[in-house]
Amino acid sequence: MKRITYILCILLTSALVAAMVGWSFAAGALLVPVIAIPLGILVILACREQVAEIISDERTVRIRSKAALKTIEVLLVLGVIGTVIFASYAYSAPLAPTVTGKMTINDDGTRSETLTLSQGGIPGMPEEVVRTLTIRDVDSMNETEARAYGLFWQEGLRLYEESAVIARTLFCCLGALLITFGAFYLHYAGKY
Amino acid sequence: MKNRIRVLRAEREMTQEELAELVGVTRNTIISLEKGKYYPSLKLAYRIADLFRVGIDDVFTYEREKDGPGMGEDE
Repeated sequence: MKRITYILCILLTSALVAAMVGWSFAAGALLVPVIAIPLGILVILACREQVAEIISDERTVRIRSKAALKTIEVLLVLGVIGTVIFASYAYSAPLAPTVTGKMTINDDGTRSETLTLSQGGIPGMPEEVVRTLTIRDVDSMNETEARAYGLFWQEGLRLYEESAVIARTLFCCLGALLITFGAFYLHYAGKY
Repeated sequence: MKNRIRVLRAEREMTQEELAELVGVTRNTIISLEKGKYYPSLKLAYRIADLFRVGIDDVFTYEREKDGPGMGEDE
């Protein structure tokens, strides 16, 4: 067996095992992963035995090590930049969207309310109005108005909330990356 | 670092593939070694020298102050 065939075997077996595990969780057949995962490992090991040519030598190991280290460095720098951008967008007060409401008493005695969502920007510059919503009778909203009211909050603050979620996700990924790197570093520092 | 792998291999009418198999590396590694792009580990260097039945100094020559860092040396 050639090296490329072996790599294809690994990819195919991994995809098949992952699909079986996913399906088993959905179907509630929890015995399937117990059988499929060891079977997949056995298939891969059997394929490895069939490879005639050398799969890996010191040069490939060194190339992979260097590539992995550079990947970590690049991801770390990009991750920090991304986290700071999204976090500053989500958590800094001048950039956060603001909602203002204006209540008006109508001629018939009912109260109407106009909500305005503005996007903050550079301090000193006027805020940009993103969307407005007017509810004619705020004390007796009809279904359409209630839905529009809900949508106003949901859509208006979506970008802000998404930024916060992305910032938190990136921060957690960076933390996990650094902890994993640190653990392996300590392991190999002890070994060599 | 210079090496005489290509010369020693040619003297013994050995292909890159054969040499790679005998020392337990891929053909690409032999190609990189011959081009001087990759510096082998001590273990591999000794294995190559042993195979050609020469001393390690007859295969690899270290040139002081001339080399830039190659693959396998610290940058």
